Amino acid sequence: MDSKGSACSNPNPNPTFGPSKLMLAFRFLRALSIVHRTTPASSPTCRGRRIERAAYASMAYSAGTSRAWSRAVLRRLHHRARRRAVAPRRLSTTAGNRAEALRRLVPGGAGMDYCTLLEETADYTKCLSMQVELMQGIVDSASSNGR
Amino acid sequence: MEKERFLSVDWQSPDMNSGAVADQLPRPFLDLGWEQPVHHDAKFESAISSLVSSPSLNPSSGNGSVVVRELVGWLGSICDSGDISQTSCYSTPLNSPPKLTLPVLGHRQQGGGGLPMPGNEMADGQFTGFAANPGFVERAPRSSCFGAWSYGGLGDQSGLPEAGNLSRVPSSHSLKSAGALQMGVPDNGKDASKSNPERIETEMRSKLGGGMPPSSTSGRTMASGAANNVSKRKAASRGRGKEAPLSSSNVNSPTAAEDEHPDAKRCKPAKTNGADKDSVVKQETEQNIGASQKKGKENNAKPQEPPKDYIHVRARRGQATDSHSLAERVRREKIGKRMKLLQDLVPGCNKITGKAVMLDEIINYVQSLQRQVEFLSMKLATINPQLDFDLETLLQKNMHQEHEPLPQQVYPSEGTSTAFSYAQQHQGSPLQSAITNGLGVGQQPLCPFDGLADATSQLGSFWESDLQYVVRMGIGQSQGAEFFSQSLHAD
Repeated sequence: MDSKGSACSNPNPNPTFGPSKLMLAFRFLRALSIVHRTTPASSPTCRGRRIERAAYASMAYSAGTSRAWSRAVLRRLHHRARRRAVAPRRLSTTAGNRAEALRRLVPGGAGMDYCTLLEETADYTKCLSMQVELMQGIVDSASSNGR
Repeated sequence: MEKERFLSVDWQSPDMNSGAVADQLPRPFLDLGWEQPVHHDAKFESAISSLVSSPSLNPSSGNGSVVVRELVGWLGSICDSGDISQTSCYSTPLNSPPKLTLPVLGHRQQGGGGLPMPGNEMADGQFTGFAANPGFVERAPRSSCFGAWSYGGLGDQSGLPEAGNLSRVPSSHSLKSAGALQMGVPDNGKDASKSNPERIETEMRSKLGGGMPPSSTSGRTMASGAANNVSKRKAASRGRGKEAPLSSSNVNSPTAAEDEHPDAKRCKPAKTNGADKDSVVKQETEQNIGASQKKGKENNAKPQEPPKDYIHVRARRGQATDSHSLAERVRREKIGKRMKLLQDLVPGCNKITGKAVMLDEIINYVQSLQRQVEFLSMKLATINPQLDFDLETLLQKNMHQEHEPLPQQVYPSEGTSTAFSYAQQHQGSPLQSAITNGLGVGQQPLCPFDGLADATSQLGSFWESDLQYVVRMGIGQSQGAEFFSQSLHAD
């Protein structure tokens, strides 16, 4: 676990170092495969939602539990999985106060002070962009390889 | 002896007055001390004569004689000794010059101009010789008259808000008196010309600005003395049992500097019991000329204010030094750093200046990323088969040798994950590039899964959590295992 733990967890408080792309990719691909296997093809929306949840889950697991946002994501996902609730929805940020809007965007941002919020936003943004890159790559490769 | 008499005159006048004159006396003298010697003579004489002749000074001339004698004796001792200990009262070299001219000017008066105005030279000589006001204040308790004078002169907050701040020369009072001096008008003419004060103020400012460097160089001895003094004071304040908070200590370590650093004020509990005025003066003298005068006035207004917090952050020049503002500044700096980080993360935000716009950009970016994730997941939901094939293909290429050793009771994914980790260890780059390409093309075969068994137990727990999520998603254990085994063994 050490090798992977160090690669995945982020004990460094400096937010410049993010989770490794490799582990993120692996987790996500695996979860993706599982979703494809388990959900019927007739319900692409349901599958899509699951894929989205899988994406967030892999992101959070890759980031490790040292990040407040990853903990919040996992907490939310586990709760929802238990309660069979709807997938977590993003709230639009029409609030005049930018800090509030940011808090709503970043998971777990409600209970943070502004300074921590900025730090968590940075890390979350990094992970999110990595995830998006990965998914985009998968889609591109799949479409390029598609017959 | 002339020196002493002059000094006595200086002390006398303030002693009589509640303190307004006392402040007026040093300041013009301080300023004029920077001027050319010739310039001084006439000015000092006229100034002193005018001041002496002021009605406020006259009444207690009789009483003052006794005081004067004591003062003279004490000052004589100071003059004679002229040792570094006297300089200890100088908090910073910056403040020494202004105070030095005090005795010089006093000189002028009694000598009737006989003594050549040494100007700066004498100032230099008297740098070590004469104690500045802080020094005087230090010795105030020793002589009641001194104490009365010092407190009256320096501690008079009501009379002059800048009473104790000798370094802040350009004050209205000093300007007025300086104007009077320059014009040689009697004391009642202090308020006669306001135009002169401005001129003198500018002169003073320029002189002080120019004079500071030379004084700092010439006053190195005083600097050490000042350092000693300040360190003494700080040690005393420390000895009062205040502990710096942990955060402040963290801040302190990178910002620790010498005491006599002229460009900063140390945030210290300057106000101590029994040495309030003293510390007030010292703190004032520590300030830069041009540093927050407002803050200095604040200090003057409440000499009894509670001791400052031990945050040990260097207050920058021209900035307040109370604990709240320092903590606020530290916090603001942290936030600024984080904003810079975010600016680097969000593409296209290099030109944006301003926190509000930056925050908007960040919010937009995060929102767009989240929307992208949603969209891509929907897309991935539709393009299912190829992905599975890819994954299988990739795994197959490297697993053809390892089918059998893979334990079935353990999640095969763990084995694959082990392989991945192993691959990362051995050949991180090719695998990583494959992954970063989205595993689109199988051109980069995974490394052979060596030592799967070894790593499996190690990483089992690690992947357990991940897979548990999958389980919670509604996938049974058996199903998962079955799925993976299928993927692995499928052709």
